[in-house]
Amino acid sequence: MTRSISQDNAVSSSRMTRALIYAVLLVFVFYYLLPLYVMVANSFKPLDEIRGGDLMALPKVWTLAPWASAWSSAQIGVEPTGLKPYFINSILIVVPAVFLSTVFGALNGYVLTKWRFKGDGIVFGMMLLSCFIPFQIVLIPAAKVLGFLGLAGTLKGLILIHFSAGIGFSTLFFRNYYAAFPTELIKAAQIDGASFFQIFRRILLPSSAPIIVVTVIWQFTNQWNDFLFGASFSGFGTTPMTVALNNLVNSSTGVKEYNVHFAGAILAALPTLLVYIVAGKYFVRGLMAGAVKG
Amino acid sequence: MASLKIKNLHKSYSSVEVLKGIDLEIEDGGFLVLVGPSGCGKSTLLNTIAGLEEITSGEIQIGGKSVEGLHPSKRDIAMVFQSYALYPNMTVAQNISFGMDIRGIDKAEQKKAIDNVSSILQIGELLDRKPSQLSGGQRQRVAMGRALVRDPQVFLFDEPLSNLDAKLRVDMRTEIKRLHARMGTTIVYVTHDQIEALTLATKIAVLKDGYLQQFGTPDEVYNDPKNVFVATFMGSPSMNLIEAVVAKKGENLVIQIASNDNNRFELPIKNIAALEDYVGKSVLFGIRPEALTDREGADRTSDQIAHQDCMIEVVEPAGSDTFAVINLGGKEAIARLRADAKITAGEQASLAFNMSKAVFFDPASTLRIR
Ligand SMILES: Nc1ncnc2c1ncn2[C@@H]1O[C@H](COP(=O)(O)OP(=O)(O)OP(=O)(O)O)[C@@H](O)[C@H]1O
Ligand SMILES: [Mg+2]
Repeated sequence: MTRSISQDNAVSSSRMTRALIYAVLLVFVFYYLLPLYVMVANSFKPLDEIRGGDLMALPKVWTLAPWASAWSSAQIGVEPTGLKPYFINSILIVVPAVFLSTVFGALNGYVLTKWRFKGDGIVFGMMLLSCFIPFQIVLIPAAKVLGFLGLAGTLKGLILIHFSAGIGFSTLFFRNYYAAFPTELIKAAQIDGASFFQIFRRILLPSSAPIIVVTVIWQFTNQWNDFLFGASFSGFGTTPMTVALNNLVNSSTGVKEYNVHFAGAILAALPTLLVYIVAGKYFVRGLMAGAVKG
Repeated sequence: MASLKIKNLHKSYSSVEVLKGIDLEIEDGGFLVLVGPSGCGKSTLLNTIAGLEEITSGEIQIGGKSVEGLHPSKRDIAMVFQSYALYPNMTVAQNISFGMDIRGIDKAEQKKAIDNVSSILQIGELLDRKPSQLSGGQRQRVAMGRALVRDPQVFLFDEPLSNLDAKLRVDMRTEIKRLHARMGTTIVYVTHDQIEALTLATKIAVLKDGYLQQFGTPDEVYNDPKNVFVATFMGSPSMNLIEAVVAKKGENLVIQIASNDNNRFELPIKNIAALEDYVGKSVLFGIRPEALTDREGADRTSDQIAHQDCMIEVVEPAGSDTFAVINLGGKEAIARLRADAKITAGEQASLAFNMSKAVFFDPASTLRIR
């Protein structure tokens, strides 16, 4: 008798908890989606509708003009080029830098777990440290190095900077993932005669999809959204998207075209959003895989 | 096929010495089993033979030639791992042919080799599956296939059966024995299961804490153990070790054992010269359960059977045998009786001690007295 009562209580209290959890979650979802809604809705409105009215309302007249302007004709600083060339700059910087920092992170993780050497712990410790250094500290030394290499203001220079800044986290991700990878497989492959790189390419890499996805998303998001390095090290023709967006919004000539600014901001965020949508499922799965062991 | 010789092998991981001077030799076509408790260095020894771990000092010879500095793939060995270590991203066929692929052997020849081992191991219908789609026993077979296809001088097995359930383990054990008889390749086999060791080996090496405790045939290791560790490690249920005092009775030696009612009884012992020095002192008297039976179950070929009434404390029928727990010298001892021996717990029964199988150890050094 007492048992059935307590069970009833358990059921109803768990229902209550659930309802509460959902309510809280819904509030958060609403809270996070609201800015996105405002941006999307206003990017399709003509300017006078924004100025005259309610930010929360849907457009009365739908127009693509703000998008076209943000992409190809808006005033960025002094040039009326739109965001397009800067978008291309960002792609040219981020794609190679993401690729390189992922590949080298994987190699580092492989060596640090499967080809241990004296002092490997110290090397890893230093790489970890690079994850937590505030980048402002390294701005001046980095500028010196870029100048010394003759890469100041170039795309290559920015690639190098992003690659160096990203490799710490890549190494951390891959090291933890490979630590849980059975060493006996490496031994078996050694007996089969596979070389260092053959083992990496044919045994390790095919099993690394989840952690590759995690690393790519992580690096892509960080590098695409970077403002500090872009503002500090880019030259006239190599400015990335984030800095250009800032220039667009801050352009002092004429009226403030909020609808164009909204469209530009969404354009700037679009690639990272896309990466999450395509690979987000693996992102969570890969994070879990890394978290369980190692 | 080749012999394997290990001379004064030492292996340390930084400051920890794991192998402390191992000397072993197995003839061409032999089956060497390394056995010992967990952490004693069996896998380490196997890995040094394979070249997966560097040795600190000593020498390893395969086929009479030192393998020092040779890469694992150049030592002409094949290894089966405890976890099977099948490449998860490859099919069974690709797993088996990976080594050939690396060596650049052409596809037609690879296929022939795969077909050959898959028919030996009956894994033909598994060839297109991934390891994750196989049962434990099937994975085990594939792992053996991958080793077999290399046609090596020496096979190395690291606890290949320890992840299988009891029944499958016995089946695979028989199969490995059959394979060995058929191929005649030298095998080094690691296990911590002493039954596996006894059934498979032509030579057994018993290891403990990085030291070789005994190296000999299964018969030597089982019947003629060098020390208490080997005596108790090999055999199940393990050997009874009873404290006893050596005494002289006329010309002959006897041992005196305290029984549960505080009386002492005596058992005659065969003449072991070294035991003369122990007259009046205590020794450890070792007798295996099967040498301690009911009167009718006693070994008729033995030249020294002693009978003694003992209080039966517990009776454990086990189908083919009945085990009885008795108290000898203040310790529990296990006797192995015929299944239908007429005994009852709590009553006296006359037991037969096969003293020709008895062994004695020095209680201080735990070494055999012989
Ligand atoms: N890479 C290593 N670094 C330091 N110590 C190690 C290393 N590998 C093994 N050891 C130690 O060496 C000893 C022997 O290990 P080994 O794996 O050979 O034991 P084993 O006899 O195979 O045991 P098991 O039956 O549990 O497999 C253990 O005490 C282990 O802790
Ligand atoms: Mg082991």
